[in-house]
Amino acid sequence: MTETILQQWQLVSGTSWPVLLTLTGFAIGWWTYNRSGRASLLHPLMIATPLIYLTMEIIDLDFASYNAGNGLLNWLLGPATVALAVPLSQQMRQLPALFKPLSLALLLGGLFATLSTLLLVKLFGLSDIIMLSLAAKSVTSPIALSIVQQIGGLTGLLAVATMVTGLVGIIVAKSLFRLTGLEDERWQGLVLGVTAHAIGTAKAFESSSRCGAFATLGMGINGILTAIILPASIGLFVI
Amino acid sequence: MTKLLAGLLILVVFQWLGESAVRLLALNIPGQLLGMILLLIVLTLNQSLLPWLETASSQLIRYIALLFVPVTTGAFFLGPEILDKLPQILAVLILSTVLAQWFMARIIKALRGADD
Repeated sequence: MTETILQQWQLVSGTSWPVLLTLTGFAIGWWTYNRSGRASLLHPLMIATPLIYLTMEIIDLDFASYNAGNGLLNWLLGPATVALAVPLSQQMRQLPALFKPLSLALLLGGLFATLSTLLLVKLFGLSDIIMLSLAAKSVTSPIALSIVQQIGGLTGLLAVATMVTGLVGIIVAKSLFRLTGLEDERWQGLVLGVTAHAIGTAKAFESSSRCGAFATLGMGINGILTAIILPASIGLFVI
Repeated sequence: MTKLLAGLLILVVFQWLGESAVRLLALNIPGQLLGMILLLIVLTLNQSLLPWLETASSQLIRYIALLFVPVTTGAFFLGPEILDKLPQILAVLILSTVLAQWFMARIIKALRGADD
C-alpha cells in the first residue's frame, strides 16, 4: 500500500523529485555544519549524502534515475569550474615577485602528489579503474571531476577520495609544518592549496588572508597543470 | 540579479569556448578547464569583466558542495570490488597526502635556502 502511494507520488512529482531530495539533504547538512561551528568532519556532504542514500533505499529510487534528475546541478559544475578563474586572477599579481621559487614548488609539488598516488596504487596492487579514479584526488573537486570523466575513472570514488585527501591534509599539516620548520604562512598556504585543494584553502584563510591567497594560487595552478599533464600521461601507468 | 545573470552568461560563454576549442583542436584536456584558462588570461590582461563576474562566481564557489551532492551520493553505489579494497584505498590517500606535504615543505626549504 505505502509502496503504491510512493510510486504514485514519484510519478506526480516527476523529475523534480531527485532535486528536491538533493536540496533537502544539503539544507540539513549546511544547517548542521554551521550550527557545529563549521567542524571539518561535519562537512555538509558528510551529512547530506548518507541521508539521501537512506531515503533512496526507503523509497526504492535507483542511482541512475536520481542522477539523471539532478542534471541541472551536474551541469552547473561546468560554469563553477570556469568561475575558479575569478579568485585565481585576483591572486595572480602575487606571482611575479616570487616567480621562480613559487612555480618550481608548485610544479614539483603537484607532480609529486599525483605520482605518489599512482605509485602507491601500484604498490598496494589496486586495479586500474581505482587508479584512474584516485589519480586527480589532490586537485580541487570540479577540476578533478572533469579530469576523471576524461580519463574514465569512477566519479563516486573520486568524490570520496578528494574529501578524505582534504581532511587528512588539514589534520596533518599543522604538525608537519612544525616538524619541517616551515613557518612562513605564505608557503604554508601554498602547500595546503596544492595538497588539500579547497578544504586546505578554507583552512588557510582561517590563518590569514595572505595564507589563503597563496593557497588559492596553489590550488588553481596545480589544478590547471594536472589537467594538462595527467590525461596525456596516464596511459604510461595503465597496463 | 542582473549581475548574477550577466556573470553566469559570461561563465557559460567561456565554458562553450573551451569545449569548442577542445573539440576543434582535438585537445586532450577537459573543455571547461580550457574555458577557465581562457577566462584567466582575459582577466589577467584586462579587469573590466571582473565586476560583472564577482556575484555569479562567488555564489557558485560558495555553494559548490551542493553541486557535488549527486556525485558524492554515487559513492554509496560503488560495487563490492571497490568496497573490498577500501582499507588499501584509504592507506593510499593518507600516505600520498602526507608524503606530498612533506616533499613540498622540503622543496620550499631548499629553494628558499638557495635564494637567501
